[in-house]
Amino acid sequence: MTSRMFHLGWFLGNGFGVQAWNQEWAGTGATDWMMPDQYIDLARSIERGGFDFLMMEDSVQIPNAYRGSSEYYLRTASAAPKQDPAVLAGILSQFTDQVGIVATLTTTFYHPFTVARMMSTLDHVSRGRIGWNIVTGSSTYAAKNFGFDMPEHDLRYEMADEFVELACKLWDSWEPDAVLADVEKGVYADHTKVHTLDFEGKFYSSRGPLNTTPSPQGRPVFLQAGGSEKGKDLAAKYVEAIIANPPGVEKMKAYREDIRRRAVEHGRDPDSIKVMYLVSPVFGETDAEAEEKLARRDRAKESNIEGLLAGRSHLASIDLSRFPLDEPLPDDLISNGHRSSFANFKGDGTQTLRERILAHSATDAVHLCGTPVTVAAQMDEIMQEVGGDGFLIVGTPMHRRYVAEVTDGLSPALRRRGLIRDHFEHRLLRDNLLAF
Amino acid sequence: MLHLGWFLSFQVQSWNQMWSGAGGTEWNKPQLYVDSARALERAGFDYMMFEDGAFVPDSYGGDHDWWLAAARSAPKQDPLALIPILGEHTRNIGFFATVTTSFHPPYMAARSAATIDHLTDGRFGLNLVTSHNTRTAQNFGYDELFAHDERYAMADEWIDLVRRLWDSWEPDAVVLDEERGIFADGSKVHPIDFEGRWYRSRGPLNVTRPPQGRPALCQAGGSKAGRAFGARNVDTIIAQVNGVEDMKAYRDEVSELMIAAGRDPKECKVLYIVTPVLGETEGEARDRFERGRKAMAGSVEANLASMSYATGLDFAQFDLDAPFPDIETEATQSSLALFKKLAAGKTLREFATSDTRKSVDLYGTPDSVAGQMGEIMDEVGGDGFLISGSLNRRYVSEISDGLGAALRRRGLTRDGYAGSTLRENLLEF
Amino acid sequence: MTTPVDQRFHLAWFKSFTPHDWRSTWSGSEERDWMNGDSHVDFLQALERARFDFLMLEDSLMVSDTYAGTAEASLAQGGYAPKGDPALLASMLLSETRRIGVIATMSSTFVPPWLLARMSATIDHLSGGRFGWNCVTSSENRAAQNFGMDALPPHDERYERAHEYVDLVTQLWDSWEDGAVVMDEESNTYVDHTKVHPIHFEGRWHRSRGPLNLPRPPQGHPVICQAGGSPAGKAFAAGNADVLLSLPKGLADMKRYRDDIRDLAEKAGRDPDDIKVMYIISPILADTDDEAREIQAAMNANVEAGIKAQMVNWSATMEIDFSRFDLDRPLPDDATTNGHQSTLSTFRRFAAGRTLREAFTAYRTEAIEVVGSPATAADTLQEAMEFVGGDGFLVMGPTNRRYVHEITEGLVPELQRRGLVRTEYAGAQLRDHLREF
Repeated sequence: MTSRMFHLGWFLGNGFGVQAWNQEWAGTGATDWMMPDQYIDLARSIERGGFDFLMMEDSVQIPNAYRGSSEYYLRTASAAPKQDPAVLAGILSQFTDQVGIVATLTTTFYHPFTVARMMSTLDHVSRGRIGWNIVTGSSTYAAKNFGFDMPEHDLRYEMADEFVELACKLWDSWEPDAVLADVEKGVYADHTKVHTLDFEGKFYSSRGPLNTTPSPQGRPVFLQAGGSEKGKDLAAKYVEAIIANPPGVEKMKAYREDIRRRAVEHGRDPDSIKVMYLVSPVFGETDAEAEEKLARRDRAKESNIEGLLAGRSHLASIDLSRFPLDEPLPDDLISNGHRSSFANFKGDGTQTLRERILAHSATDAVHLCGTPVTVAAQMDEIMQEVGGDGFLIVGTPMHRRYVAEVTDGLSPALRRRGLIRDHFEHRLLRDNLLAF
Repeated sequence: MLHLGWFLSFQVQSWNQMWSGAGGTEWNKPQLYVDSARALERAGFDYMMFEDGAFVPDSYGGDHDWWLAAARSAPKQDPLALIPILGEHTRNIGFFATVTTSFHPPYMAARSAATIDHLTDGRFGLNLVTSHNTRTAQNFGYDELFAHDERYAMADEWIDLVRRLWDSWEPDAVVLDEERGIFADGSKVHPIDFEGRWYRSRGPLNVTRPPQGRPALCQAGGSKAGRAFGARNVDTIIAQVNGVEDMKAYRDEVSELMIAAGRDPKECKVLYIVTPVLGETEGEARDRFERGRKAMAGSVEANLASMSYATGLDFAQFDLDAPFPDIETEATQSSLALFKKLAAGKTLREFATSDTRKSVDLYGTPDSVAGQMGEIMDEVGGDGFLISGSLNRRYVSEISDGLGAALRRRGLTRDGYAGSTLRENLLEF
Repeated sequence: MTTPVDQRFHLAWFKSFTPHDWRSTWSGSEERDWMNGDSHVDFLQALERARFDFLMLEDSLMVSDTYAGTAEASLAQGGYAPKGDPALLASMLLSETRRIGVIATMSSTFVPPWLLARMSATIDHLSGGRFGWNCVTSSENRAAQNFGMDALPPHDERYERAHEYVDLVTQLWDSWEDGAVVMDEESNTYVDHTKVHPIHFEGRWHRSRGPLNLPRPPQGHPVICQAGGSPAGKAFAAGNADVLLSLPKGLADMKRYRDDIRDLAEKAGRDPDDIKVMYIISPILADTDDEAREIQAAMNANVEAGIKAQMVNWSATMEIDFSRFDLDRPLPDDATTNGHQSTLSTFRRFAAGRTLREAFTAYRTEAIEVVGSPATAADTLQEAMEFVGGDGFLVMGPTNRRYVHEITEGLVPELQRRGLVRTEYAGAQLRDHLREF
């Protein structure tokens, strides 16, 4: 098999939240996390490193799952506090030229008109570099902040489907040539080309039209992280990049083939969907140094089972402190939150909770470890096996040293192998994402 | 508390190395330096100090081939042009740029420095060198350098003249009286009519008084004439001496010279050059340090070339396995004296494979290096460190976000700037 | 079918790094903040939005005390001094913009050629090829004295020196061949040393060994700008310059001057289209022509203050003490200068048959008067360019935000609608802009 180019994204796993703060290399993270500076540096660095986009996760609650309390989360600044990524997206767009910026907005909590308008505005101010990570929300506590109980998993996806449909109609409510900006005649827009929708759906209605003009990309690039059946269907129908973390090369390959098949079923060109796998490479100046770092990290995990359980409890909206560590989790335990991810985590019931929590990563499809040259070779090999389409680097905790290892160590090594772009060919995020 | 600076040149910082990123192509653009300055500002650094030289070295092996192939000491761009950009993207950190007193017209230097001091709201200083290389003299149209001690005598006169130009506007000369249409009061702006042995200038300067009054001054001379010059004139000194004892002796001598010159020793901060090697564990840092040392030992040529650069003598001409040669130089006398001292009993090869540029070896986790730095300064008696290392973003981040945070936790560096100008920050503690 | 003729002309702005607009109604906080450079950033970004070719920063190196033998009037006005170093400001401004060029003035008489070659090459690298050098020989003895000389070299000798100086500086720029930086990772070779050459320059006035210690600038040679109007100055410009700031007034003189320069350039073996001649204008704009005329009349009404200001400035640039002259008599014949000779002779011709008061009242620096609504002003500029043949205008006026925006958001869009100026930059570097049309 021959090497072919792949895509890179940065997955900001803790959103616009507290990144590294009490760890080594955290700098002034404890006090400055709410300022844009660190994210500006990150966005500029990955732009230099040839990444397609920066993707900012989000959640809208103070977690309360573990032991039914926010104590762990707030004490350790895990998953809370967290500021609004759409605001940050606007700022980052002004400090970058080429890299895409993807913000997470939850369908369940917003009205389609709000999202359509916000994304259209961001697409304008970024000159066509905005993406929307479509999530349906997963947390009961988040839903309660908006005054309702969390709809059931599959229902959320049904709602999301209609949400996206309506948002697209809003983006299309202005014909592409509706804006004339004719100074001589004094006509800004041709009202006959701006249409009301009078959309009446099962969940949403909107009169329209949108009160923003058609943005450079028409609509934002869509991203999605679904692993459930419903999620994969939604993805295959609408999205241009999928955030995936099936464990191991074989499952990665199978996952991608499944998505491509579904895309074809929806009448789409399968190459118009990029499957991007979450990875957290560990770097060293020698392979041995990197291996030791990875080993230290694993040992740190063993002494921080509480942290792992709290994190997983938050994702699943299930209090895992209630279950004995040295027994498998009950068969009938399912999550109404990140359903497929939780099912993956539970495994087949042969391993205990302790084994699963130590072995299973929420953010790593495969282990990558070594010098930048070694990791580049590993990525090359995996992509040849899987067939495409790229990786999402998860840097948690995110600090500038790690960012530099990726953008100034790994990126040049990948470039030397011809695996990633050495310049941006296009101005729009969508064009860059679909360029290869 | 410690003062911190970063020592660098406006040259190829790092290329073809593991963490170089786009270092080969971005070294002559602003962004790498903007990012670095902002990072160091986060860590409370006093300043970035840009060394400079106005020649392509060819002292090693009699031609410039080695230097250009290795991108060492050439190419090198004019740091004066970079500082206004860095000032625009920062708020607190200061900047020194190097000018050579031997060849830079004093009026021009006074004006450039005053302009940059205004553009940076009082965060600029000049690092004064007298130039040590014949090629520099030849680039400026002279056949030879002036003799070592004459260069320092000229420097004394030069800085005297430059200061008078800065002082040629009284502090309240700008009145901004809109009613009467008076921008500046002519009676408070004075010609200086300077007539020296080497320099003349009528004045006044055509720039208003700089925010710091006089931009800060820095100096690195280690020779006797150089030290005396520093003690009389500068706000901070770059010291390259080896070992805690010599570091202390150096600080003591500067203090004595300053007292003799009628200055309070606290007015000048002596910063020692170090290259901390950081790791996540002590073992990892030690391994890195050893790897670095081995690489150094393996690059005899690079070290001989550096020695040639510093002294102007072609070290390619000497027998590597004979004792360090007994030679004299008109260039940097203190460097050669230091080499000779350190090389006592060693062959040239042995000396060329040892590291001579750092005051002390520092390696470990950020916290342990922070501890070592605090202990060393307790012994030396002041005033801080000047980091000199590969300016790639990973190393800068290790220093600013790793070491900087550890120093701050130990109360060894500032947590926020008290002053608004470079000199105020230097005098803060 | 005929190809439509490209009628476009170039736009640039002329200013100094001074607080010269500090007293005007709309100067904001400029009087206090002018030296931190921030308002210049806004200013240059406005010019870039209007797709100007460049900003030209004039310079001088002294506080003048010629007028009445004291610096009092000159400093009270704050028009000529203080003045910050424009090359340093240029570097900062270029870092805050992407396409527009900045030309800074540096004196070939006082700056060591090595420093100038290196400073300008550095800024050209920092800005990706958008820097230019306005080469002046300086024109004031006071400046010479600041640099340790007793007086300036004589006028024509300055130009001879400048010829040699430009030769040396370009040789330094050329001392690195294009492609000298090879960055060969395999052999760990950054620069191919065989492509970097000492120049061993030995001139009558200047010497330098070289090579320069940085790679050839992105533009090869940063753009060279010149303002000479004297025969020596014109010959020098025709041989070396990419762009000329020209002083002639009125359409006939403008055309004659440009034809002359193009002729000289051709004789020097250059393509005349490689030199752009730019004419100074100071448009007075308003919503209507009547309103613009009223503004102009109000400006002219304040004659006495205007005369004093002009005389102080002229005393500074000419080093002739105008305070000695009787305003109600003509300019004395024995008033001569070793400085701006062509400016003085232009003025002398203009002042013939007038008293000094009349002459100063009527005299304008601008080449043509531009007064009216944006549409009228555009007519004036269009007609002028059709008559003269090219190449563009250099706006000289107060740089408060209000006036700047009258030009960039009022006049320029009108010119753009008529296809007379660019709506987008085609090239990346300053010389690309100059040669685009």
